[in-house]
Amino acid sequence: MKRALWAVAGIVLLSGCATTRLGMQDAMVIRAKDRVAPALVHIIPVKEVFTAGRREEIAVQGSGFIITPDGIVVTNEHVAGQSRFVKCILQNKQEFDAEVVGIDPDTDVAVLRLKADRKDFPTVKLGTSADLESGQTVLALGSPHGLSRSVSAGIISVTDRYLGSSNPGSDQGSDAAPFNTWIQTDAAINSGNSGGPLVNLRGEVIGINTRKLLGADNVGFAIPIDVAKEIVAQLIEHGKLDRGWIGVSLQEMGRKTDDASARGVVIADVEPLSPADEAGIRAGDVLRSINGQPTDARYVEGLPAIRKAIADLPLGSEAILSVARGEEVAEVKVKTVLKSGADGNEVELPEWGFTVSEVTPLIARQAQLPGKTGVFISGAQVGSVAANARLQSGDIILKVDNIEVDSLETFRKRYDEVVAAKKPLVLLDVKNGALTRFVLVEQEQTEAEAEAPEQDSLETPEGAVDHVE
Amino acid sequence: MLNSLVLALLLAASNAGATAAPEMSQATIERAYNELSPALCVIAYSFEITNPKNNERVKQDAHTPGLIVSPDGLVLARGHMIGDNIEPFNIRVSVGHGDAVTEHPAVLLQKPTSVNVAMLRITSDKPLQLPFARFKPDVRLSVGEPIAVLGVLGAAFDYTPSVVVRRIGSILDTPRTTYCLDDPVPPGFTGGPVVNVKGEVVGVVGYDLSTSEGGDLYVRSGFPLVYQTELFAKYLATPPAEAGDGDADAPSWLGVFTQPLTDELAQYWSLPAEGGSVVSTVMAGSPAAIAGIQRGDIIVAFDGKPVRSKQDRDVFAFTRMIRETPVDKPVVVKVLRDRQPLEVTVTLAPQPVTSGRANEFEDKVFGLTVRELTRDVRIMLNLPEDVQGVIVRRVQSGSWAALANMRPGIIILSFGGHAITSIEDYEQAVAAVAAEKPLEVSVFSRVGAVTGFFRLEPRWEDVKE
Repeated sequence: MKRALWAVAGIVLLSGCATTRLGMQDAMVIRAKDRVAPALVHIIPVKEVFTAGRREEIAVQGSGFIITPDGIVVTNEHVAGQSRFVKCILQNKQEFDAEVVGIDPDTDVAVLRLKADRKDFPTVKLGTSADLESGQTVLALGSPHGLSRSVSAGIISVTDRYLGSSNPGSDQGSDAAPFNTWIQTDAAINSGNSGGPLVNLRGEVIGINTRKLLGADNVGFAIPIDVAKEIVAQLIEHGKLDRGWIGVSLQEMGRKTDDASARGVVIADVEPLSPADEAGIRAGDVLRSINGQPTDARYVEGLPAIRKAIADLPLGSEAILSVARGEEVAEVKVKTVLKSGADGNEVELPEWGFTVSEVTPLIARQAQLPGKTGVFISGAQVGSVAANARLQSGDIILKVDNIEVDSLETFRKRYDEVVAAKKPLVLLDVKNGALTRFVLVEQEQTEAEAEAPEQDSLETPEGAVDHVE
Repeated sequence: MLNSLVLALLLAASNAGATAAPEMSQATIERAYNELSPALCVIAYSFEITNPKNNERVKQDAHTPGLIVSPDGLVLARGHMIGDNIEPFNIRVSVGHGDAVTEHPAVLLQKPTSVNVAMLRITSDKPLQLPFARFKPDVRLSVGEPIAVLGVLGAAFDYTPSVVVRRIGSILDTPRTTYCLDDPVPPGFTGGPVVNVKGEVVGVVGYDLSTSEGGDLYVRSGFPLVYQTELFAKYLATPPAEAGDGDADAPSWLGVFTQPLTDELAQYWSLPAEGGSVVSTVMAGSPAAIAGIQRGDIIVAFDGKPVRSKQDRDVFAFTRMIRETPVDKPVVVKVLRDRQPLEVTVTLAPQPVTSGRANEFEDKVFGLTVRELTRDVRIMLNLPEDVQGVIVRRVQSGSWAALANMRPGIIILSFGGHAITSIEDYEQAVAAVAAEKPLEVSVFSRVGAVTGFFRLEPRWEDVKE
């Protein structure tokens, strides 16, 4: 009893006179916060967003933390991605511009570099997320709703939360978080906290605050720092991550089938024409191992590690998959290819007043397209040439004047030609769902021209160039 | 002042005399009322409405006016009595008014596909000799022409017959001749008989325009229309079978989606601006596909009749042309392909069954109601032809299927290891699985464009058959 009292006194003394009136817990929280706060960054990126057929730039607010004395900042991809300009404000109110070193949408990690010739930036100490325990106290630092220098405290609710359901299709699309589990915490995390550090009581960063459950109270999620460390190292080196892909979706084995002898992970879906498809793997097969390494997922929490094991296979390498179909087990060789992103490049085409994006493999599959072909209309402005031709979000343009469109680049080229030539009628072959149709775009009577006839007609196309990356 | 008033009166009088505009006389209205009131009946029924999301069912009682159209008890009523999720039962028809009301049980007949009306038949042990309305077909109505509509007042007035007078407000030519009234009618008048100035019964009041190939899909017009006699005459001559007894009449089907050859498209393709139907999608396995009709072909004549679509609504006229051609007759279709005229001979097929009429199976063990995959669903979901299965229509809340996160719209490809290609397969698979009682049933499904497994974990001791 006496010894415990001494220990308290010791901490109080160490923390200085300001904390003498505070308890032990307060002292520990303050000390941990003080170790991280100088390296905390309030991030204001100007991002490119596409909405209702228009490209816009909006300023958003996020958080981040400095990890090297020369100013490497870690944050979220959803904070710094698609940004034209990034402003960073440090704890001491100093402002720096930053360049984006690299982004990884699949894990939502981004790396920035502060534009300053300095080698003395304060840094955080990165801890490990390997030994976390649910119930331990953590702090979240950042700029909730733009309120910089905010600290909130809570505990780790769950150390390995799987986000996404085990339902078919849930690992597809841009919202999926396929490659890692998450730290769930009840420390208040709000929009603007994104990219900020989750800190243990030793003042070490153990996670990147990234998501919250909408409509819930105190259900926030952080990327475990061990996951982030690996991504950050690769982003600093290569600027992006190239993941291997074989074209399978996985599902856990399930409780009932999980006896001691039933191991592996269920192949739920095989992408047509993918390496796995060509190797003869079928939905319903059970994947036992990859290159001799067992792939067991009894529950959903086991899935991210297997997806990561596939993604980590060297590109173009041949992996040996042990696959069970009923009683039979076969070894199958599968050659990995590059995994493409969930989101495609997008551009605004102001003359017709609409935005188009690349056809991603998922869009192609949903549209029943034979591979990557056409461009996807992501929005059309009210009253625009595109809208007058009844083009709408979700349409896929397959041909322009009977010439096939195989990529966003070829579409841009054809589009620029017909716009420059002021061709009065342009015929598009358009697909939406199961139906195709012919769309005739009338270029002559655009509202802009009708309203401002004296304007130099060259101005509009030149203005367009501004919007292109 | 006095002079001008006299002049005005004179003008009015001479005007009326010159045009002899038909007007609805009080005598005509009264005669229509007296003749048709006995044929007006009141249908009392209960219906069950099912929420497709959770399979929750609510039962309600309702009344709706009906019109007896044959002495042996054929009754016409508003189409909204029956729907995809609305199932009427406990149907009774009250004939007569005031003190002389007789109540008869009645059964529902299959709903006609071309017009949104419901049909019932009064059932009776004894032969019936009921008062009924005699319809006059092929009567042209004109804009401004007055018409009388018979209906019944509400329960507070003991469902007493009543009459209102309206005028034809406008006439649309496509997709078929459609007469719009100038003003809404009260609720008890929907489905009521329409009488013209000559005292002829020319149709009934309805609210929906039937759409092109959708079978029993309708577009709510929000405005009362006259369903003219021709639209349902064939159902009066040959009444449909009782609901649930096989298929109703299937219209003829070509299997293409078309768009009009607008003048701009004609200009683009350097074709004469004479209209036509541009084939935009050819459905796999359809009569059009078999005959070699291709996407981009422009149909300019069908069965000797010119096709001159220039606007969107003209497409419906072409669809109607197809629907009214017999299925077994070889039809010559004139098309332009790459500007060259070409003749193609097609044999139309009956339109494939639509999802509203698809076979359904309610699986009480797992709590799923599944339907066969119909062509309209394949188009809606953009399903490739090689995908075989059944589609989940409803999931019973709290069921094993609901616990496994199954939801409407999922396509079941295999069930507990049994491949599913039809409702019968599903029924058999459930029976086989229920006999085996496994701890877990894997349901291999397609959700959107991807596949995966749902795991049902029934507690067999709780399963009630």
